[in-house]
Amino acid sequence: MSGSVLRADFWLSFPAFDLAFQQEMDRETVVIFGPSGSGKSVALRAIAGLLRPDAGRIEVDGRAVFDRAAGVDVPAHDRATAWVPQDLGLFPHLTVLENVMFGMSGDRAGRLARARGLLSLTGIEPLADRRPATISGGQAQRVALARAIARERPLLLLDEPFSALDEVIRESLRSELRRLCRELGRGAIFVTHDLREAYLLADRLVVMVNGRVLQSGAPEGPFLRPADRAVAELMGFRNLFRGRVLEVGPDSVTVDVAGRRWRCASWAERPVVGAAVEVGIRAERVALRRASEALLSSTNVLRGAAVQDDAYGLDHLLRFRVSGEGAPLEVQVDLPARPYRVLDVARQPDWLLELAPADLHVMPVTSAPGD
Amino acid sequence: MSNEIDWSVFRVSLQVASLATVLCVLIGTPLAWWIARARPVLSATLSALALLPLVLPPVSVGYYLLYLLGRQSGVGSFLIDDLGIRLVFSWQGAGIAAAVASLPLYVRTAQAGFEQIPPSLLDVAATMSPPRTRFLRVVLPLAWPSLAAATLIALARSIGEFGATVVVAGSIPGRTRTVPAAIYDAVQGGQYGLANALALVTLAGGLVLIVALSAALRRARHA
Repeated sequence: MSGSVLRADFWLSFPAFDLAFQQEMDRETVVIFGPSGSGKSVALRAIAGLLRPDAGRIEVDGRAVFDRAAGVDVPAHDRATAWVPQDLGLFPHLTVLENVMFGMSGDRAGRLARARGLLSLTGIEPLADRRPATISGGQAQRVALARAIARERPLLLLDEPFSALDEVIRESLRSELRRLCRELGRGAIFVTHDLREAYLLADRLVVMVNGRVLQSGAPEGPFLRPADRAVAELMGFRNLFRGRVLEVGPDSVTVDVAGRRWRCASWAERPVVGAAVEVGIRAERVALRRASEALLSSTNVLRGAAVQDDAYGLDHLLRFRVSGEGAPLEVQVDLPARPYRVLDVARQPDWLLELAPADLHVMPVTSAPGD
Repeated sequence: MSNEIDWSVFRVSLQVASLATVLCVLIGTPLAWWIARARPVLSATLSALALLPLVLPPVSVGYYLLYLLGRQSGVGSFLIDDLGIRLVFSWQGAGIAAAVASLPLYVRTAQAGFEQIPPSLLDVAATMSPPRTRFLRVVLPLAWPSLAAATLIALARSIGEFGATVVVAGSIPGRTRTVPAAIYDAVQGGQYGLANALALVTLAGGLVLIVALSAALRRARHA
């Protein structure tokens, strides 16, 4: 079957913020990523039919379920969507099996057979007769998932369903969810504020902040080539600097950052000479080299002294004060524990920091609060 | 006048209280659900209206009902002249009066039960089933301990109702004289022995109701 499983373009106004949401997706997994209060859940609820947008249109599986101008507003239970809330919403008075059968249609024997099939697919068959209060968080999660799948709707809407679980259970559920979505060939929108989860699950990643979609595309896009500073910060870019474009070449641009010339080979949109830009590099992409005069003259190499060393067990987050020509700068380096030990970083204060052009990403300056 | 108990007062009281309780359940349940789910302004207005009989003197409630059900009002003349239903001075009229007096307590208790249901359960149910199925399969099973408690409270209140019922239905022996009316009449007639006997029966009945009510409330709290 061709055609989009979702085509949405709507607008919703709240006292605290306005939500503008546009999205078109096929039978794939779209992850909406953003901080708390960015409007992710609200967008999902509007698609599910639990909130009425102030304007716009929502089409699910080729059918308009909401169209403000045309006066269309299909009730939630008639939409081709299945929604799982953050707290799962399992009915406490029904058994696991009854929960899964709740939203199914057809005769009882058929529903029972399909529900049992889904319980075994999600690995919770032995719990069929238990009440939700007597099962674990991970098991409850599987029940909620089975119940949503049982609705046989082309679009699953999952609102941070793993948020209450331990990391170990989350991990196994994530891979399972990915497998299920691919096997069943349905579309799914998964809302999360966990970056790793977002990257793992997403065929496409939608970054939302303050009710706006800031960037949308293959997950590598926002991760490696964020559209602007706000997305970069969300994606964990620890090093972000203001600069001005000096030269634009075919493969790289030269940017002045605090009086230093940096060659950058990654950009969100092609910069023009003289433009003010943001330059970002992930802390884990900064290479640490032993101090040597020969290296110092090469491209994008800075001399720095470690001023802070925070150990996180598996890695160290180091802050370096960059010396030399130009205004003072601070660069953060995320170094795994093993190279940290091998290089003996703890005893050596002075290092060279190499910023590879491919990892230096140039973004346009967008007006943001506080600018 | 004899000091012997006229047992028909218990039959009448039971009829009146049963009718009142049924009316409370039928009208109060959807009303409480509506109040629990409506937008704040509408909810507050409905809630205030539903509470009105609680703050009015029962005799005033009875007076308004007497007017409403009598031939002077449009409703009353329609009932009497067009449908041939005469509610004033009938046990059914007393039942309606007791229902109006008990409704606030029923609605309040039922509303609390509905409000206890986590919103996300109702949302999930809304995405899976039409409103009727949702109400029967999710709302009622989750709220039933509160509804049971509300029903018992309404029953107790209806059995004890005096002011409103006596204004609407009077105290006609064998037809509209309820236990409270009989006690009042006995006291007025100086038959303290009879009043005492009747009051003792109500005391025993009240104790049974309290036990049942506290059991229902316990269930409602642990639901």
